[in-house]
Amino acid sequence: MLQTTAVEPLVPPRARVEILRRAFLYAVLVAVAAVFFVPFLWTVSTSFKTIPDSVHVNLIPHPWTTQAWHEVWTRFNFGLYFRNSFFLAAVVTGANIVLAGLGGYAFARLRFPGRELLFLLVLGTLMVPDQLRLIPVFVMLTNWHLINGFSGYILINLVTATNLFFMRQYFLTIPKDFEEAAKLDGAGYFKTFSRVMLPLALPAVSALAILQFQGTWNDFFWPLIIFGQGNQDLYTVQLGLASLQFQYTTLWPQLMAGSVIAVLPIVVVFVLFQRYFISGVVSAGVKG
Amino acid sequence: MLGVKVREAGWGYAFVALPIAVFGLFFVYPLGYAIYISFFHWGILGKDREDPNAGWSNYSRVLHDPIFHTALKNIAEYTVGVVPLEMALGLLLALIVNQKLRGRNVFRAAFYFPSIASSAAITTIALYLFSSDGLVNRIVDSHTPWFTTASTATWAIVGLNAWTTSGTVMLYYLAGLQSIPNDVYEAAALDGTSTWRTFWRITFPLLRPAHFFALVVFGVGALKLFDQAFIASAGTGGPNYATTTPVLYIYLKAFHSFDFGLAAAAGVVYFLIVFALTAVQRLAVGRPEVA
Repeated sequence: MLQTTAVEPLVPPRARVEILRRAFLYAVLVAVAAVFFVPFLWTVSTSFKTIPDSVHVNLIPHPWTTQAWHEVWTRFNFGLYFRNSFFLAAVVTGANIVLAGLGGYAFARLRFPGRELLFLLVLGTLMVPDQLRLIPVFVMLTNWHLINGFSGYILINLVTATNLFFMRQYFLTIPKDFEEAAKLDGAGYFKTFSRVMLPLALPAVSALAILQFQGTWNDFFWPLIIFGQGNQDLYTVQLGLASLQFQYTTLWPQLMAGSVIAVLPIVVVFVLFQRYFISGVVSAGVKG
Repeated sequence: MLGVKVREAGWGYAFVALPIAVFGLFFVYPLGYAIYISFFHWGILGKDREDPNAGWSNYSRVLHDPIFHTALKNIAEYTVGVVPLEMALGLLLALIVNQKLRGRNVFRAAFYFPSIASSAAITTIALYLFSSDGLVNRIVDSHTPWFTTASTATWAIVGLNAWTTSGTVMLYYLAGLQSIPNDVYEAAALDGTSTWRTFWRITFPLLRPAHFFALVVFGVGALKLFDQAFIASAGTGGPNYATTTPVLYIYLKAFHSFDFGLAAAAGVVYFLIVFALTAVQRLAVGRPEVA
């Protein structure tokens, strides 16, 4: 036996092995992709089902209804929560672009005494975990009466060290010639930043914007701490979804419609800007 | 010349002023403030009027609280379970999409997809799929509500988070795989080394930086588990404290018992534990390098 298998001609031709290998690979690929996708298909399907139908295993709703969507959007206030989430994500993202851009540029290019020390402080903030900040930050915001509105949440999220570091690293890669040309034209420091450097950093700004929008939209912890203790009108979509789940454990069509609402904007962004998503995650992680 | 230098420094300070103020006020100052609060009897209205000084009592209460011990045990089990699983799945996905295949960008996007969804949505969907009458129980013919049964809750969250995080781990491994020079593989092919051996003898060891990076980043991430445990247990950490993680413990002490002093002390204790673990890990495997 051993001898015959070792004989050359009995080994199948390379091409056949290759075809088999490919077929196997595609089968694995489709199977894994199904595991990743079926739960989402199931979610969308259930959101169009009636409550009794939601515990059946049919993928096609029977009967088909949009009642859950209506209820979630109006009676359970997801319309308002959606606007709240969108507002917070837009404001926080805008603030981060401006402040991380300005700070990143200064740390990358401008010389001022104490720069290295201050930069160390920026990096040091990455070591302070949320579980330690939670109590003091909540106490501070309460004392300053910033709990009953959006301002407290926005204030603590104006800029993150990760974003500032990310922008600084990008500015370091831009050749100095551009700034020198701007200076020869008589542009001041702010004009050089806003008219020359920030536009040149567009790829970094795009990646930052997408990841920060996603981060704020998906944020659960800080909205829970700041908005979760009182007025429900301040809820974000994520908070509204969790609270719906706590109150109506088995209202599956409504809960699945709520889940789709909670992920849909990010899915749209992902489909449109997939390239930035993936490059942003890797470079932010590798450098940060 | 001096004027130019002064002007540049002035603009430098102006540009970093707001970011530094935010970091100082909401990161550096709270570090000290948390320690301060931890030495007081501190309720929702601030320091207790009659008996403000707590001394070390908040710390001794945390360290002797069996529920805090349970929380530490839970997070240890969770982390030891989830990190290797995330890494193995992530590496497997990276190896698949690193092949020269038609439509591999589509597959890469599909595998990354669960990573972009919010924790609240993904946990709600998982609660549905794993509910007593849910899809999973229909398939395995059982009626266990996986997330709300004490013996299975932690492992249900392990499975959930391994599934959602593996797409992110995949991206880091993909970067690692692409940094391995092709001639290494060509040499192995010339020697007639099998695919299996090539993987274990060449690819796996050369991915060392990516392994360390994933271990550190996702290890620290796992120790912070909160959202999924909070949502799956309807904010209780139950049943029978099975889903109480240290961060959830701190939250419950603050916002259910209104014992801010104790919660702050628990925050400091857990910070020190995580810090010590990170330091030990750094000493053992070295600094994480570029993946």
